[in-house]
Amino acid sequence: MTGVPLPEDRQAEVPAISAGKSRTFLARLNLSTWIGLAVVLLLVLAAVFAPLLAPYDPTRQNILNQLAQPGAEYLLGADQFGRDVLSRLLYGARYSLTIGILSILLAMVAGSLAGMVAGHLGGKTDIVLMQFMDVVLAFPSLILGLALVAMMGATMTNILIAIAFTALPAFARVARAAVMAQRDREYVQACRAMGFSGPRILFRHILPAILPEVLVMASLWMATAVRTEASLAFIGLGLAPPNPTWGGMVREGFDNILNSFHLAIFPSLAILLLVLAFNLIGDGLRDAIDPRLKTAS
Amino acid sequence: MLSFLLKRLGFACVTLICVLSAVFVLVRILPGDPALVILGDQASPASVAALNERLGLDRPIWVQYLSFLGSVLQGDLGTSMVTGRPVTEEILHVLPYTIELTIAALALGVLLGVPAGVLAAVQRNRFPDFLMRILSLVGLSLPAFVGAIILLMIFAIRLPWFPIISAGGGDDLLERLRHMALPTLSLALIMTAYITRVTRSAMLEVLSQDFVRTARAKGAPGWAVIWRHALGNCLIPITTVVGLYLGILIGNSVLTEIVFSRPGLGKLILMALSQRDYTLLQGLIVIYTLMVVVVNLLTDLTYGFLDPRVQYK
Repeated sequence: MTGVPLPEDRQAEVPAISAGKSRTFLARLNLSTWIGLAVVLLLVLAAVFAPLLAPYDPTRQNILNQLAQPGAEYLLGADQFGRDVLSRLLYGARYSLTIGILSILLAMVAGSLAGMVAGHLGGKTDIVLMQFMDVVLAFPSLILGLALVAMMGATMTNILIAIAFTALPAFARVARAAVMAQRDREYVQACRAMGFSGPRILFRHILPAILPEVLVMASLWMATAVRTEASLAFIGLGLAPPNPTWGGMVREGFDNILNSFHLAIFPSLAILLLVLAFNLIGDGLRDAIDPRLKTAS
Repeated sequence: MLSFLLKRLGFACVTLICVLSAVFVLVRILPGDPALVILGDQASPASVAALNERLGLDRPIWVQYLSFLGSVLQGDLGTSMVTGRPVTEEILHVLPYTIELTIAALALGVLLGVPAGVLAAVQRNRFPDFLMRILSLVGLSLPAFVGAIILLMIFAIRLPWFPIISAGGGDDLLERLRHMALPTLSLALIMTAYITRVTRSAMLEVLSQDFVRTARAKGAPGWAVIWRHALGNCLIPITTVVGLYLGILIGNSVLTEIVFSRPGLGKLILMALSQRDYTLLQGLIVIYTLMVVVVNLLTDLTYGFLDPRVQYK
């Protein structure tokens, strides 16, 4: 199977990308990319200003309002402990965004570094590193994340690391492939001829060339990371209650699905919205970076 | 062909052994003494030592490793820490449910996704294309449990057409299908989205090629050009996707099984997690990974059947 470096669920769509710089980069972004960016930005703002926006304390229980239907008092209803769903959604955005973005940034840095080193040094380092990545790839990512979190305990840091781990091989592969592709290019030979050190060639000269490709991957992977985080929380491997995580809210709402389906549906839609937004951004960036693909898709 | 097969098999075995080693390490790094986890904090040192001996945890780590590898390769995944029954038995008991669900979802995904993708490609930049593009993007952004919950709410709770708890349905074939319908559909939605996208982009690429123009020029009917000439050349990318995503489908089936209370590996995982049954969890991870490795192997082998130009080397 060819090793294409996108999230496992987006792999087959994509060919190797030839990155190109352009002054009109922003102009090349299509409408749906802007929509995706706007949605993510809005959610980030909502998360940052959650204390100002939230009408209630997200963890305060109120027995009198258990399972209140959506209405004037509780815009999106209240859960089985009488906690305001809207407030919990706003605070929950913090966890989804933090884990989604940070875990992928971590995977991006660590994975690209490993891949660049493997590609640059070759030989035994390359074989060992890439064999390790292949083994990680053999696990379905949800199962791997689940196993890691179950073993290490469901704390913010552990969930972040576990999700980063599932994305690691993809970044390593793309960085390695890109380094190998650039290695014999004239500008790299020129650098060598001038006696530049390995790290200098890698980070000052090769890195900028492969960066756009890595960034596109990162935004598509953020979609996957948010989904994985939500799925783990739904299984019961999210942050411990009463922390309001979206996946955890769906899990709790699911217990009352017969009489109050709004409890499960609002956080579900929130997850869908964020994942969709990251996917829109990723697709748009990919088209903008590689116009050749745009004609094909 | 034979040498290719052996090589692929060998490669799969190496991956599998690496994966087993990874699982071994993973389970060993867990904080805390497994014996303490099983017996509880109040256990006396003597009983902890006794259990450690019974579980073989007092032996040197490499002896444990080799005996773990040895028994797994013989199909022995150990004994459940909670029920005391062999893990292999527990897993084999529910495995058919998961496999049945996954294969049904895959089949449905192909049946819906391929025509949708072809339609989108043929009607490029017209209404059906936009519709398919939006739907497939939503589909692949949909976490498995969200799709499952929405279907459950509409077709089992609002409209009582399907059972809320899809426990299996017994021997009656029709009843069985009724129980399988929603879980299958919810998994298939995701698969459909992936397949639609890849079919569309593969078709677009193929449709612009010379042999398609030639086929049209020699007067082949429109449907034959699209379904026979063009689609035939899209089978390789579609198969790649099917193979890749089957692994994801297997992972996502956990979520679907939980939502629909369907028996299967998902329920077993929940049990292993809530009861801290690490042997069972370890066994389940091995099984999931084994399935992915097998699927990858099968995908590689399928290429040759689909495209005679593929040489097995």
